[in-house]
Amino acid sequence: MTEISRKQPSETEDPHWIEWATGIFSAVLVVGMIGWVGVEAIVEEDQPPEFGIAITGGNAIAGGYRVEFDIANRATRTAAAVVVRGEILDQGKAVEDAEVTFDYVPAQSKSSGAMLFSAEPGQREVRIRAVGYSDP
Amino acid sequence: MGSVAAEGGLREEPRSFLIGLGRGAAGAMLFGIPMLMTMELWQLGFYIERYRLFLLLVANIPLLVLLADRVGFERTSTWREAWRDATIAYALGIVMSAAILALFGDIKLDTPFSEMLGKIAIQAVPASIGALLGRSQLGGSSGDDEEDNEAEGADGNDEDKGDGGDAVPDQLSTSYSRELFLMAVGALFLNLNVAPTEEVILISYKMTPWHALATIFVSIAIMHGFVYAVAFKGTHELPEDTPWWHAFFRFTLPGYIVAMAISLYVLWTFGRLDDTAPTQMLMSAIVLAFPGAIGAAAARLML
Repeated sequence: MTEISRKQPSETEDPHWIEWATGIFSAVLVVGMIGWVGVEAIVEEDQPPEFGIAITGGNAIAGGYRVEFDIANRATRTAAAVVVRGEILDQGKAVEDAEVTFDYVPAQSKSSGAMLFSAEPGQREVRIRAVGYSDP
Repeated sequence: MGSVAAEGGLREEPRSFLIGLGRGAAGAMLFGIPMLMTMELWQLGFYIERYRLFLLLVANIPLLVLLADRVGFERTSTWREAWRDATIAYALGIVMSAAILALFGDIKLDTPFSEMLGKIAIQAVPASIGALLGRSQLGGSSGDDEEDNEAEGADGNDEDKGDGGDAVPDQLSTSYSRELFLMAVGALFLNLNVAPTEEVILISYKMTPWHALATIFVSIAIMHGFVYAVAFKGTHELPEDTPWWHAFFRFTLPGYIVAMAISLYVLWTFGRLDDTAPTQMLMSAIVLAFPGAIGAAAARLML
């Protein structure tokens, strides 16, 4: 404990066992955390961002159609300003495109967003892909 | 009000209370202004998920009460007064946030109600902590403070007896938990300042695990140095025959864990941990725990 008095606060000489228990518990956590980050530091390879995009849903909205998707970055490096372009393909030809920029797609994490098209794709294929990014 | 003496006594009371209110308002402004002028926090006001905001607002209540018990608008001696001071501080936080956001034109009469509410609510949390701190930091003469300390010391012992539900009935440990609580408040306060900005996650993306390791060591060293080595007012003394690592294990390491926990909580509240890999969560928590550790150490010195 800490004694607060007119002079400087000073720690007692015979602390309660709970203080030591907390201290040891904290030390274990800190060492565990350092160990985790340390292992990451040693084994982690530096992979450039790699994206996987999955369409998660779509619905009609006023004046168009919304296609929702997730973008996952499987690599160990974060990508910034990720530009994702979506196209509606009619027999292999793009008839409409839309674009969205993600501020960040963190390493081994995912972000989600949506494309807004003016027409419902219906039977036509929707292709969404990342076209570029910058390093944070 | 018949006699002159009684009248004088009655006048004295509201006056010192009003001064306390003024200090609270000044504190809310002083400690709240960096956040009131942060764009990300305005934005969080409308996009933060409501249940997280609700949780933060509710968690702020016991925090303010405990803090008020330590530093009130007036020398508090009972829980009732602590509750009263906490309520006043919260109200001051809300009023000052609303007033300053309105001054900056960030909320206008035609702003949607939900957005207005969110913006004010999120700002009210740091502002209310500031209102309480204003009393202690902008407070009067040093003689006053010493009296306060004595009063609080006596007061603390009373609570220990009353607080039978505590896992540890020992009065020593209540002071210890209070010390940890103060560190949590300090960490929370600085975290709320820093966490909403994009820089926190940007830094965590820029850092390699090696940087993170260094940050952990530096944070812990700063925490320990602040409290025990650098001779600030309020620096803690160690008894001469106690080795330095005693305090290191009993205060600094638990303090760092508290700062980490608060960092994770604040990041979660602001939605920075959603859909994020555990390693990335840890990295951003390490970044945020750096100011948190400084805040925690400073709180031990100041409060």
